[in-house]
Parts: sequence; structure tokens; C-alpha cells
Amino acid sequence: MSTIYEKLATAVLEGNSDKVPDLIQKGMDEGKTAKELLDNGLVVGMDEVGARFKRGDMFVPEVLMSAESMKAGMGVLRPLLAEAEEEMLGTIVLGTVEGDLHDIGKNLVGMMCEGAGFEVVNLGFDQPPQAFIDAIKQHQPDIVGMSALLTTTMRAMGHTIKAIEEAGLRDQVKIMVGGAPVDKEFADRIGADGYGSNAPAASDLAKEFVSAA
Amino acid sequence: MRTNYRVNSGVRFRMLTDDQLQELFDGVLHVLENTGLEVHHEESRQILQEAGAWVDGTRVRVPSWLVKESLRKAPRSFTVYARDGNREHNIHIGPGRAHFGPGPTCPNFIDVETLERRPYIKDDVSIVATVVDALPNIDFCESLGSVDDVHADLSALYEFAHMFPNTSKPIVAWSFDKYDSEGIHQIALAEAGGQEAFEQRPNYIHYCEPLSPLISTFEALDKLVFAARKRVPLVFTPCAIAGGTAPITAAGIITQGVAESWMGLTIAQAIQPGLPFIMGGVLSVMDMNAMVFSYGAPELSLMMAGVTELAHFAGLPLWQTGGCTDSKTFDEQAMIEGSMSVYFSALTGGDLCHDVGYTESAMTGSVFQLAAMDEAIGYARRITRGIDVNEDTLATEAIHNVGPNGHYLREPHTRRHYKTEFWYPNLCDRRNFDEWDTMGRKTMKDRTIERVRDILASHEPAPLKEGTETLIQSVLEEAEDRVQQDWWQEREIAD
Repeated sequence: MSTIYEKLATAVLEGNSDKVPDLIQKGMDEGKTAKELLDNGLVVGMDEVGARFKRGDMFVPEVLMSAESMKAGMGVLRPLLAEAEEEMLGTIVLGTVEGDLHDIGKNLVGMMCEGAGFEVVNLGFDQPPQAFIDAIKQHQPDIVGMSALLTTTMRAMGHTIKAIEEAGLRDQVKIMVGGAPVDKEFADRIGADGYGSNAPAASDLAKEFVSAA
Repeated sequence: MRTNYRVNSGVRFRMLTDDQLQELFDGVLHVLENTGLEVHHEESRQILQEAGAWVDGTRVRVPSWLVKESLRKAPRSFTVYARDGNREHNIHIGPGRAHFGPGPTCPNFIDVETLERRPYIKDDVSIVATVVDALPNIDFCESLGSVDDVHADLSALYEFAHMFPNTSKPIVAWSFDKYDSEGIHQIALAEAGGQEAFEQRPNYIHYCEPLSPLISTFEALDKLVFAARKRVPLVFTPCAIAGGTAPITAAGIITQGVAESWMGLTIAQAIQPGLPFIMGGVLSVMDMNAMVFSYGAPELSLMMAGVTELAHFAGLPLWQTGGCTDSKTFDEQAMIEGSMSVYFSALTGGDLCHDVGYTESAMTGSVFQLAAMDEAIGYARRITRGIDVNEDTLATEAIHNVGPNGHYLREPHTRRHYKTEFWYPNLCDRRNFDEWDTMGRKTMKDRTIERVRDILASHEPAPLKEGTETLIQSVLEEAEDRVQQDWWQEREIAD
């Protein structure tokens, strides 16, 4: 007989959005705390999703289903965590930079980071530097993530970082960048703190940032 | 409801017209009826004569009606079964089905550990069979080599004895002579559960090779007669060399090669009407500069496509050829030649495509070439599977749901189809540069070597039935005794 934690992890791995909230309720009935169910159940499942995706054993539509089931679980857990004054792993502000309308990849990053236990503020696409600055002021994030798909718009990531510097906010946040044409070298050149080559890599990077802090 | 709606369920490929095929067909009948073949097997000559052929000494000419009657008796579709009952490993031969596997009898092998070329030894047989068993796009087994470290007359028997336990995919069994064939058949029967059970569910195919030009050798026919009596599905394929042992033109080599194969067909169908018969041959060019039979020539693919179409026109399955190369090593040439012939072979729907994994013009077997070609076959199979067009695949509903500026990743339509609509590579790398860099900048060759070694470290083929292993040992011991006896050492090949 598997434990409630194992069942939760498996439900996330299988992307079973209907089952996750029920299992959480069952766990609460057994006397587990919200934090325990998150750390030992949902997050364990999502970590396995990331590992399998990296190995090529899982595909993006499956990862999305897992992320959605994670989100369903967080919907139940979030108010309980707040009530217990448990801290989230951290807050991430995400956006696709000005001039770029592509945000599938960035949304995937958002779902993976939520899955990893972050609070994610998703600004959407075609976001000017000022939108990032306003969001940093409002949400006090630990991390800002930005993306671009086009070689013509990737430069806007550099402009955005510069604007954040000029607003005096650069020291408050770690900045990670990504998108098809982006690589580590480009990330270094524009003064980002890190680069993730895909959604699980970005989520790993975000975890590194907050654990190092 | 649709009516009179025509569907291509795969990519269509046709090289020759019905008129051209009829002309080739008539050419083959003409050669068999007017020129005939040397038939170096007395019993076969008697069988042919009784069936209606004209025998003049060792020369046999076959009237067209007899050839046509033999073609009518032979099945176009039949099944060869996995020895362990694994349906995934069965081979259904029939229209629109292309299968792939290695070839036999290379003298050398690329050592799996050292990657050096050296003589083929007994232990290599189980390596090849295990890799065949594990690779998803390899359907039947041959050993890629002639065993060098046993008694020279017993290498085929040892080969089968070591393939059989290590794969449950059907084996195409090459042999020297009838004695080998008897031993092989005994082993197969032990697993099948006797002759009657074997006839209902044959678990291997017998391989015979006549000689070009126009000779049915004693050994080839002695084996054929044995296999036909035991109702073992049969490959009968010459290996004709354009410009050497056959005409230099593609139409000419096809005509001669098929005449050679159909002499075997006529004898086999006279002995055992309805015997599954896979016609040959293996046709390619003699490179007039390097003087080798080329396994990487475009003409090989072209000639094989022509002979495949003629086989299907006549209602027989064909022994195709592909996935092989003249290259001496795992390089760009090997990949170009192997992949092109694999793809072309898949397009023709040639029924059993062999020689996958041959390098150095069939002088060296390579399990790495085999594993790389498994990837090429998967690639080719995705293309030949074609495009499904129906209400669901048109996806107008999904297009409507997503609308402008949405995405399809979370659509139920995407989730329903992403595993079957796309082919996912095992060896080809599609990662981005950084990931590829992080993973150690591995080349296709590195990944192929890794995959083969992983399979050998982890793959476990289905075990034999209880008792079969003991029987294999006693068959080998009897054979070892036989080749020590005086009569064996002094025997002469009859005529």
C-alpha cells in the first residue's frame, strides 16, 4: 500500500488534475499538513517530471498535464499554506519582452516554476521595460524571468535589464533569460544572472537562485 | 458517409509500368524455356522432369506453363512466428509490408569493445542476436558473420544454435548443406512442439543461394529439397553481379536473377504445393575500377526496386537488400549509402530487406551499422506511413478552439496525436547547442556505440522452452562426431 505522498506524486506524474485535490483532502484527513503534502507529494512528483523530461522520457504535452495537476493541487494548498504562514519558495515575475508575441515557452517556464513551489506572476507577452519595473516594485520578486523567440526581439531583453538597473532595482532580483535564439553567452553579455535552455532547466535555475540566497 | 473515396495509406512508389513488368516477366519465362539452367542435383532433375520440364543431361528447361503454375501455387501472404509466441515479433508478409534484418556470412566483425576489425567468432553471434532482439525496427535475424573459431563445416550450425536462444524474432537460417539444415530444423521443432505444430506456426525461414550465371548448385538444391519436404518457408536468392556474372543492364540482371530464383520455385512447388517462397536475388554492380560487388551503389537500390516490382507483379514476396555499405568504417559514407538504400527499400515495400549492418562490401559485419540503420529504418517508416486525412486529422475543431495567437500544446487533439503523429529519434540529436555541449558533444557514432553497449548490458531476450537448450547441445555434439568420421572427410559432392 503506497503512502498518500506516493499517491500524490504519482498523480502529478500522470497529470491527473481531478485526482490531486481529492488526494490532498485525504492527506489532510490523515492529519498531514499542507506543507508536508506539498514538499513530500506534489514537489516530488514534479521533480520526477523534470528528470524524465530531461532524459527524453516525457513529452511537452505530458509535462503540461503534470503542471496543470500541480496547479490544481496548489489551488487547494495555497490558502492553507498562507493560513499556516508557510513561506513559498519565492516569487518570480515572468514576461515576454517588448515586440515579441511568442509566449508558449515562457508559459511553460511559469508552470514548471509553479510546480516547483514558486509564486509566479505572469505578465504576458510584448511587455515594455516599464512593465517589468512596475511589477518588481509591486510584487517584490526574488527572480525576474524574461523570454524572446526572435533574434530581432532578443535585444529587448538587454534593454529591459538596463532599464531595471537604471531604476535602481537590479540588486533586488536575480534575472534569468531564455528563448530559442538565446544562449549562455548572450545571457552573460546582456548582464543576466542565468540562462535556462528549456522549462525544467529554468525551474532548476530558479531553485538554485533562491537556495543560494 | 463517404462513397467512392480513394485513399493512399502510405507514400506511393512505382518505378515500372505494367507493360514494362510484363516484358520483364516474359523475358524470365523466355530464359527458363529456351536457355534453361544447369541443375546439379539428380533428384531435383527427376522432380522437374515429372512436373513437365525438359531435361537434357544436367541442363533443364522449364516451359512457361509450369512456371506460371508454380507461381499460382505459391502464397503472396503468410506469417512467420516468433518462437516465444510474442505477437510483436511475428512477421506478416504481404502487400505493403516491409521488414528489415541483417545479412549472413561476413568473414570479419567490428569488435564491440575495441571497435577493431577482426575475424568473426562464435561469441559474436549472441551479440548480434541480442541487439536484433532489442532494436525496434529490426524484424528478423541473421548473424552478420561466418563463425571462424569452430570446425569449418559446422559454422552455420553453431551460428543458428547461438542465435536461437538470444532472439525470439524469426531467424533466416543460412546453412552449408542438408546436414546443417537437419540440425537447424531439429532445434526449431523442439521449440515449436513438433513437425505438425511447426507447419502451422513456422518459426524460422530457410535460406538457399544458387549460383550465377544460371547454375542450380547441388548444395542449394539439396537444402531446398529438404526444406520443401519439411515445409520450411524458403528464401531462394542468387547474388548476381552486373557486368560480371550477369548482364550489365538492370533489366538484364533482373531477368537472369529471377530465372535463377524461379528454377528453385518450380522445384519447391512441385514438392510442396503452397510452400511460402521468398524470391531473390541480390543484384548489384561490379565496380569496374575497385572490382568489388558494391553494397553501396545506387544501382543496387534501383535493381532491387525493379526486382521487387516484378516479384509483386508475379505474386511473390521478395528478399530485398539495404542498410549496407562499401565503407570500411562508421562514417559519413556508411550513413549515406545505408540510409538511402533503407529508404528506397522501404518505399518499394520489398518484403524482407536483408544485409542491414554489412560494411566493407559484405566483408565485415557491424552491429553499429545495424543500430544506426535501425534509426534510418524508423525514419523511413515514418515517411512511408504517409499522411492520414480524415475529419479528426483535419483538426478544424482544434483550429477553431485555439484561434489566432493561441497555442496547441494543451489541446486534447494534440494530446491524442503527439505520440503517433511524430516519429521520435533514438539516436539523432535534436537538443540545443548548450544541452549538446553539456552532454559531452557526442556524435552519432558515440551515441550508437553507447546504445549497442547499453542493449548488451541490459537486454534479456525471452528464454527458450525447457529442454531446447539440452537438445541444442546434443545436436552440436552429434555434428562434431559426424565431421570426425572418415566418410565425412572423404565424401564427394554429388551431381
